[in-house]
Amino acid sequence: MSETNPNPAPDSTPKAPAAPVAAAPAKPAAPAKPISRGDFLWAGWSMLAAFFAASAAAGARFMFPNVIYEPSQKFNAGQASGYDLGVSTKWLNEQRVWIVRTPSGFYAMWARCTHLGCTPNWWGDQNRFKCPCHGSNYTLDGDVIAGPAPMPLWRTKVELAPTGDLIVDKAVLENKPGKREHAPYFANYASA
Amino acid sequence: MPTLDIEKIKKEVVDSQLWRSVFRGGVWKDTPRDRAGHIIGNVWLHLHPVKVRPRALEWLYTWGMGGISFALYLILTLTGVALMFYYRPTIGLAYRDIKDLEFAVTLGMFLRNAHRWAAQAMVVAVIAHMVRVFLTGAYKKPREFNWGIGVLLLTLTLFLSFTGYLLPWDQLAIWAVTVGTNMAGATPVLGNEGPLGSLVGMRINNDVRFTLLGGTMVGENTLLRFYVMHCVAVPLVVGILLILHFWRIRKDSFSAAPYVANEEKVDVWPHLVKREYIAAAATVLFIMVWSILQNAPLEAIANPNVTTNPSKAPWYFVGLQELLVYFDPWIAGVVMPGLIIVGLIAIPYIDTNPKGVGYYAWKERPFANTLFMLGVFMWFALIYIGYALRGPNYAWYWPWEDWLMPKAAPPPTWSVFGPHGVAAYSMLLGIPLMGAVAAAWMLLPKLIQKELDGKKTMGAFLGAVALVAAVGMALGKMGPIEGAFLLFFTGASFYYGFVLPQRHIRALDWPRYLVTMVLVISTMSVLLKMCARLAFNIKYVLTIPSISMNF
Repeated sequence: MSETNPNPAPDSTPKAPAAPVAAAPAKPAAPAKPISRGDFLWAGWSMLAAFFAASAAAGARFMFPNVIYEPSQKFNAGQASGYDLGVSTKWLNEQRVWIVRTPSGFYAMWARCTHLGCTPNWWGDQNRFKCPCHGSNYTLDGDVIAGPAPMPLWRTKVELAPTGDLIVDKAVLENKPGKREHAPYFANYASA
Repeated sequence: MPTLDIEKIKKEVVDSQLWRSVFRGGVWKDTPRDRAGHIIGNVWLHLHPVKVRPRALEWLYTWGMGGISFALYLILTLTGVALMFYYRPTIGLAYRDIKDLEFAVTLGMFLRNAHRWAAQAMVVAVIAHMVRVFLTGAYKKPREFNWGIGVLLLTLTLFLSFTGYLLPWDQLAIWAVTVGTNMAGATPVLGNEGPLGSLVGMRINNDVRFTLLGGTMVGENTLLRFYVMHCVAVPLVVGILLILHFWRIRKDSFSAAPYVANEEKVDVWPHLVKREYIAAAATVLFIMVWSILQNAPLEAIANPNVTTNPSKAPWYFVGLQELLVYFDPWIAGVVMPGLIIVGLIAIPYIDTNPKGVGYYAWKERPFANTLFMLGVFMWFALIYIGYALRGPNYAWYWPWEDWLMPKAAPPPTWSVFGPHGVAAYSMLLGIPLMGAVAAAWMLLPKLIQKELDGKKTMGAFLGAVALVAAVGMALGKMGPIEGAFLLFFTGASFYYGFVLPQRHIRALDWPRYLVTMVLVISTMSVLLKMCARLAFNIKYVLTIPSISMNF
């Protein structure tokens, strides 16, 4: 190591003896090294590390698909006049949505437990949605009253088309009281 | 009349060029040299040493569980490869292929059963192996690193089970994976529903859950991803770790048992190899009989919109499912499993007790053994509760209660400190109070340097709790059952979480002490939270909903 030390400390060359040797011949300048061995190794290892880091990042990015083929979140729930007051489970099996008709209109809830994503069941006799996976309970409004769920059920966008059909869009969601009771999460529908 | 000279034929066959080219070593005379040569000259056996200490052969010492785990892994590899010939991982075909395996493929049902039961047996065997290694202190220096590899192998065993049970594409499959991947979605920072997740820009289509699923819901991509992980990626990692695990065992002289005077090693061939073959044969027989007697379950075809009621995970994850009832997903599903894994790996580095290496030492290692076995016991108690005591709507049903009997709606839950807690200002009160309790609990066992009298301390604590319970009952706030719950759970937490640490680890240096206490208090928090929920309907002790911090 000491033999090839590329950067000798400033005082490592022996000092000239105290007696002044005025005519000491100037040493020929050391040949300029393009890069020292240590720097070269540093650069090499750094590049290798950068290569591995970039490969890891590229590998991680690779796992995120750019195009996914999933069904549309929007569907036609049929004529609004076809629904009775209360919770309809008509679309549960196909679209995972409950349509709830109140005296003043409609709202639709995504039937996905906000805890870990199971589908709760509607128990009309107890006026509750109950999740079969960890026992979360929700009221008709979607608020949690028992079990581990951290927040209310999501309501979906619901619109009344000019044809009288209810159009539900599960991609647009809201669950905050105060917001979820208004358009577009609530479709006014005067009972005829 | 020419007679058939069997010995002569045998000799000619064995001496033939063909035989000698395959099996080297000349005539077997069963000398020590032959026995050594058999191990060294055989690629499959040479991971063994030539001689081994007699203690490594004792069934009662090793339980044979490491070897049996490996035998099960081999069974799983063979049956798994066989199943792959008839299985196509697409939504339209997967379930039909499983049905074909059951009813239209010769031995298909048997192979699927064997794969399923061997997987469950492997979970049991690996856990038993870990318990044995812990109880005999075989993770201590110089075996710390190999214990860590073992913990990773246990984790990967469970992950292989998890990825495997999506493949049949039945109701169990889709909902177990929906729940499992939603837990990933609740990861702090990296998940869109986890604390801080939305703050750093996590959405449903760019978080860690999205990469697991290959989409925003369990679908075609998910099935393919889990298939590749289950059949190729994870077994590959397990294989690499197994090689490392075995190599280290050999380098660490195969047994942690203390040396006895004049101990003489025995030949691995035949003594150890014989036992390994017997254990493997017994394991194969066991799995075969089990697979003939009982068929692997297969539920209805997966319906991504409707969940079966109740929906339960496979038994080894039901404890986790039960834990998720009491804590938020990011705690029960991410932080606690993470703490269990990291905590287990950390054990050899925080356990400075030099005693009890290589033998069962209840007296010499009271703290380590008690707390570890408490953790194992709690895990299986949670499994029992989730498996046996949860009925429709995941409501609590005692064993004598009929699942067809409808349960009354559970009473509303409440939070002690938080926006909807005891008072509007309660977060301001709750955060310092919780912090003070946690800090006192963390520090007091070490700060009290004089050993407390266990009986008196427990008596005083239980007396105080009983007093609280009595006041509560007098005020009509709780009944005798709630009182008993309170006494049992707080008593257990106080004993295991305070009295034992105060007695046994107060002399530990600060870093090791603090790490140990974090693990101990996390374990006790499970007991306390169960008590709070089951007896008092407390949802959160402290909740700050704006940042999803709920405890």
